[in-house]
Amino acid sequence: MSELMSARDLGGRPVVTLGGEAVARVKDTVFDGPGGRVAGFTLNGRGLLAGPLKQSLPWSAVHSLGRDAVMIIGRGVLAEPAAVIARGEAAHGRVLGARVLTDGGTEVGTVLDLVVEAGISGRVVGFRIAARQSLESGSKRRRRKVYVPRGETLAVSGQALVIPADATRFVADDLAGFAAQVEAFRLRDTADRTEPTP
Amino acid sequence: MTLFSKIRGLPVVTLGEANELGVVRSLTIDVVSGLIGQVRLSPARGRKEIAIDWSALHVIGPDAVLVRSGTALDTAPPAAPVDILGIRVLTEDGDERGTVRDIAFDPVTGRVEKWCTALGDIPGDRLVGLGHYALVVRTG
Repeated sequence: MSELMSARDLGGRPVVTLGGEAVARVKDTVFDGPGGRVAGFTLNGRGLLAGPLKQSLPWSAVHSLGRDAVMIIGRGVLAEPAAVIARGEAAHGRVLGARVLTDGGTEVGTVLDLVVEAGISGRVVGFRIAARQSLESGSKRRRRKVYVPRGETLAVSGQALVIPADATRFVADDLAGFAAQVEAFRLRDTADRTEPTP
Repeated sequence: MTLFSKIRGLPVVTLGEANELGVVRSLTIDVVSGLIGQVRLSPARGRKEIAIDWSALHVIGPDAVLVRSGTALDTAPPAAPVDILGIRVLTEDGDERGTVRDIAFDPVTGRVEKWCTALGDIPGDRLVGLGHYALVVRTG
């Protein structure tokens, strides 16, 4: 599986053409909630103090999302802001702070950040959440910040996200550990689906 | 194979008149062909900056670069040329691979054989693009 990245860390990442020119910086990541994907990015100008650009980067125009840059073929793929923002039904800003409920009706926490896959998929694989104590019995002392997989049956609105209850068995404390948990959760999903129904 | 660091600073001299035109400062690369396009010179005193097409070179010697006499000198080099040494290397996946420390090329054809970085050499034919921000290479 590709490397995982927190959406918050994408802010400020340069947008670079395959010709080696930096044309913008990522301002914010726009999340396509129902699709479970990144819809695209809003952009700032290049300088540190440069303001918002009147252009955006739809995910379909991303050549690859990397550790150090978002690669695009050329400047020509940038689009007007509506191309990204209209597509993101629950924009990044609205997902942050949303309550996370399991499909069993338990509230497990609130969304702090989104975790996306590097490369070309644009998949949102999970969330960083401020976890309630109900999530893990071992930590009674304080609310913990943990990563939890998204699952495939995501329902999302501006106020709440619904994840499969068993996703809460695959939490991790950091992004490195989370990659393994997402993989384990996926394999578990596949195993379930291929089992004959009684 | 020759390293750019070995020819940087060498005097560039015309073959017939032994005029010294300047010293080697940088190279321009043609991204499509993977060949060195021009040698750019820090000019001799009182002259304008010049660039010489690779095809006009006669030989790259140990102590001097000789160019054919009567070579058309390009005194209006392209605006804001990219200085390749020190530029960051990005894969087309968007991951950094250090910076260009040196360029290894074939002294006859001008073909770039390797981009030398602190993190290792990258074959010349992986070049995808070269701009002011980065040299972009195929991941390979």
